[in-house]
Amino acid sequence: MEKKLLVEDHIRKNKRDTVVVCTLMALLFIGVVLAFGYIFFQGNIIISLIFALPIGLGYIAITYSVSVATVIKSMNARPANPNNREEKLLIHRVEEMSIAAGLPMPKVYVQDSEYINAFATGRNPNEAIICTTTGALHKLNQEELEGVIAHEMSHIKNYDIRIMTVTIAVVGAIALMSEILFYSLFWGGAGRGRRDNGAPILLIIAILLVVLSPIFARLTYFAISRRREYLADSNGAYLTRNPEGLAKALERIRDDSPKGKPKGSKTVAPLYISNPFKKVDANSLSSTHPPLNERIKRLRSM
Amino acid sequence: MDPLLLALLIIIILVVVIFILIYVGYYNKIIRMENRIDNSWAQIDVQLRRRAELIPNLMETVKGYMKHEREVLENVTKARSALMSAKTPQENINADNMLTGALKSLFAVAENYPDLKANTNFLNLQDELTNTENKIAYSRQHFNDSVLSFNNTIETFPGLWFAKRMGKKTREMLQIPEAAREVPKVKF
Repeated sequence: MEKKLLVEDHIRKNKRDTVVVCTLMALLFIGVVLAFGYIFFQGNIIISLIFALPIGLGYIAITYSVSVATVIKSMNARPANPNNREEKLLIHRVEEMSIAAGLPMPKVYVQDSEYINAFATGRNPNEAIICTTTGALHKLNQEELEGVIAHEMSHIKNYDIRIMTVTIAVVGAIALMSEILFYSLFWGGAGRGRRDNGAPILLIIAILLVVLSPIFARLTYFAISRRREYLADSNGAYLTRNPEGLAKALERIRDDSPKGKPKGSKTVAPLYISNPFKKVDANSLSSTHPPLNERIKRLRSM
Repeated sequence: MDPLLLALLIIIILVVVIFILIYVGYYNKIIRMENRIDNSWAQIDVQLRRRAELIPNLMETVKGYMKHEREVLENVTKARSALMSAKTPQENINADNMLTGALKSLFAVAENYPDLKANTNFLNLQDELTNTENKIAYSRQHFNDSVLSFNNTIETFPGLWFAKRMGKKTREMLQIPEAAREVPKVKF
């Protein structure tokens, strides 16, 4: 009983942190929209919302509609082959985890790569895909593989893919609006109507917001990504009732040094269980994943 | 119309709408949770049936190789018959545990028969049985998780109020011994 409470505490803490960071992102978005309005439309909020919101929402809608098929193609993934024993066992583990999570069975894909990794994709649990590398199938035992699959299943259950897609879109929208604002300010025009309307201090704040918000948005995006990874770790541990499985798998990933380059582009790195492009145990603000050693430590403390 | 009266009217309408939304929300949530419990219960049954079906196949494959392991083989057959003839839920659970134990012994003993272990049929069956055993364990776990969520919702406020009106009572979880789960130790 004692152990279970600890996992649940982790889950609750991670969910709380996500809310904090997402609120920050929302405030940033609103701030940029207001700055937009102030600079372009003389502080008339309503008009600025009418103008800025479609740009932002349009960007979100476009990014949101990117299909799962594109991701699969860019990752060079193929459906798992039940006639291959390793891949058959993978399918079994995914079946078991979907029962534990109470979710429909996702499609199972495999990526040919000596790296140990896995990712999940799909907008909602009904159209989900879980993919592991052949490296993971060769180098992990079933207990470790189960831990990895549980982590991915938790991403699906928590709608993390959708959250991250929307977050990326919001970051993009903030960056886009900031750029428009910056260029319009730079080429004058908007500044001229300012002189008799409102305090110059507000204009300075608006400019600061425009310049700094893309940076802050990106940092916030990374913070959200790390929170979701911790949450997927704790939820996954809860599913298997065995945090040690995933801990061991992460250790193997940490100590693994495969030859060749990882597949997929850097933009899809957040989808992986561990960022293959950052071998060093980075603890920086710009990491999509928390440091491996910290994740292992937290898992072992459950 | 007097603006104060209008404001009051709007506030009252808003409050009523919010109340209806909350009511509908909780009602649906409780129904959904109950359905999840029933669904996961049915799942357990499906997996138990699947396992029972795999046993005869397993016995056929193993018979030739493990001729001298009479006791181990008999235990499996006995357990399966007990399962088929179980009537009460408790008898069911007991027979089920017996079968899990008997299968464990069988696979442990099979380790001493390299010919058997090389038999692809046997390997397949072993994989299938492990898969089924895991699914049984996880469906039971999911059942208990669903019951826990449901009980939490109807025992805390405001779910408590809704549950009383809907006549929902707390459900019981399954009591299963820990030993039931087994992840195959496959070495490569």
